Amino acid sequence: MKRIYVIGLFLVLTAAQLFVPGQMIWKHENVLSSGNMYKFKTQPIDPTDPFRGKYITLNFELNSFRSFDNKFTYGDQVYVYLRKDEEGFAIADTVSKESLKNERDYVVAEVTGNYNGKVNFSLPFNRFYMEEDKAPKAEKVYTELNRVDSLNSALVYAKVYIKDGLGVLEDVMIDEVSMKDYVKR
Amino acid sequence: MSIRFRKELDILVRDNMITAEQSLRIEEYYAMKTSDRPNRLFTIFGIFGALLVGSGIVLILGHNWDNFSRLIKTILAFIPMCIGQILVGYSIFKKKNNSWKEASGTFLFFGVGISISLVSQIYHIPGDLAFFLLIWISLCLPLIYLLKSHAVALLCVIFSTYYAIEVGYWKYGSKEVPWTYLLFLGAIIPHYYKVTKENINSLTITIFNWVLPLSICIALGTFIKENEELGFVMYITLFGLLYNVGKLPIYNKLSTLKNGFVAIGSLGTVVMFMTFTFREVWKEIPFEYVMNSTEFYISLFLLLLVLLVIIFSQKTDRIKGFDIFKIVFSVFWIIFFVPMLVEVPTLITNVIVLILGLNLIKKGSEAMSFGRLNYGLLIISVLITCRFFDTSMSFVVRGLLFVIVGAGFFVANYLMFKKQKIKS
Repeated sequence: MKRIYVIGLFLVLTAAQLFVPGQMIWKHENVLSSGNMYKFKTQPIDPTDPFRGKYITLNFELNSFRSFDNKFTYGDQVYVYLRKDEEGFAIADTVSKESLKNERDYVVAEVTGNYNGKVNFSLPFNRFYMEEDKAPKAEKVYTELNRVDSLNSALVYAKVYIKDGLGVLEDVMIDEVSMKDYVKR
Repeated sequence: MSIRFRKELDILVRDNMITAEQSLRIEEYYAMKTSDRPNRLFTIFGIFGALLVGSGIVLILGHNWDNFSRLIKTILAFIPMCIGQILVGYSIFKKKNNSWKEASGTFLFFGVGISISLVSQIYHIPGDLAFFLLIWISLCLPLIYLLKSHAVALLCVIFSTYYAIEVGYWKYGSKEVPWTYLLFLGAIIPHYYKVTKENINSLTITIFNWVLPLSICIALGTFIKENEELGFVMYITLFGLLYNVGKLPIYNKLSTLKNGFVAIGSLGTVVMFMTFTFREVWKEIPFEYVMNSTEFYISLFLLLLVLLVIIFSQKTDRIKGFDIFKIVFSVFWIIFFVPMLVEVPTLITNVIVLILGLNLIKKGSEAMSFGRLNYGLLIISVLITCRFFDTSMSFVVRGLLFVIVGAGFFVANYLMFKKQKIKS
């Protein structure tokens, strides 16, 4: 390969390598700064990613809608249009297979099942990366606080900013305290 | 040159076997031959160093430091990648040697992975592992050609295989097929071909000769979805292809240990045929197949490739005699697709395995190769053992068969050992 091509290709590659993470940052920062904040009630479980470390998977309460439509099949993408209740928690307003022309915030979820008039889906922002020793503690804390016999079950929710269909998870809260701080107690 | 070898030379001079002048010339010859060794060692250590440091950083950052702010984490995400880019840039602009290129390329490979994974961590981006690997490999593939780096090429093969496994085997309930794996492979193969032409005997080629066919064998299974039975046809054709590739004239001088294509192709063919010597397996195979399926088209594509390789090698290398391993996969196509009673294909596969074993014993004894001789004997022994499971032979007959095969091992090896002794 001619030297000029090598240098040209190297510069293009370097730019691409910088562009990909840069673009990821820009996109997510934009949602965090100008997106709409919703609260999603959730339950945490801790798994591991070989490269990105420990995270907790969030099992959201908002995970299904009533429909007898057989068109919704496993793996399909659905547009979940949202509104907030009085306390700011997210409620599914409309669910559609196609994008609708309205002003509501929406997220694109994946159908995980359709049975007996109930279509289950999984929201995309269900990973919350935590320090490796905190993730298992988070799951433990949640389980202890929400035991059936527990008198004061804790309110656990995810703070998610939404804009143009992209949801960015900012934090997970237990009784209004960031989970990262809560597990330190 | 080793001290021991130098001492041996001194002894030879002292005992008047060679002159002092000859001893000096031998020393010079070996000194010249091994002159590139320090450089090679430096390259290997460079690659391993970069590998360890890179994966070490991945692990450290995997801790997910909560105390750092988003800005600090973002800056940290770029540091390893930028260092890698500077090192690679320096290697290119200053025209540094291979050691520099290999080590900096390996480090940048990990730097890119670190960068994307940290950004994913910071913003809790849910993208699955397969997508993450896809982006990572795509951003590093050009480094192979920019730096002519074998280490990056190998890393790309290994991570592409990981990607295929993630998409095809581990993604729960997924019907996705990792087509991009083929693209990655297609992008790496020209580099491999170039190195093969330059120095077929190099260590790099030996590693590639094992890693490439292994990767393809692992990844092929990820293309099997609903028509599992056609997976057998895909695999047997692939093993035929690997064997034929390994027998191309370019690989003629390589020993089996250096030629993973032949070793994996041959072993895979034997294992597949051995599996189909059981009547029960044939009973499970349906009579009708979905011809309009990915699995069938892949089988056809592999068949086309293997035929092209056979035609090419016949044209360029006619001297070699008939080798049953090269074409035995075609028998499988016939007995698999032509409807017949299960007894017929069962019998045919048994005969084929027997022929494969006998053929190896014959070739092994002709070429004085203990390896091939015992491989053939082993195939026949396993075939006989397998038949114990589905035939109602009496214990006496089974016992006698074992004794005969065991004695066969001894006799064949002894005869060959004797033959070798006489020859030498």
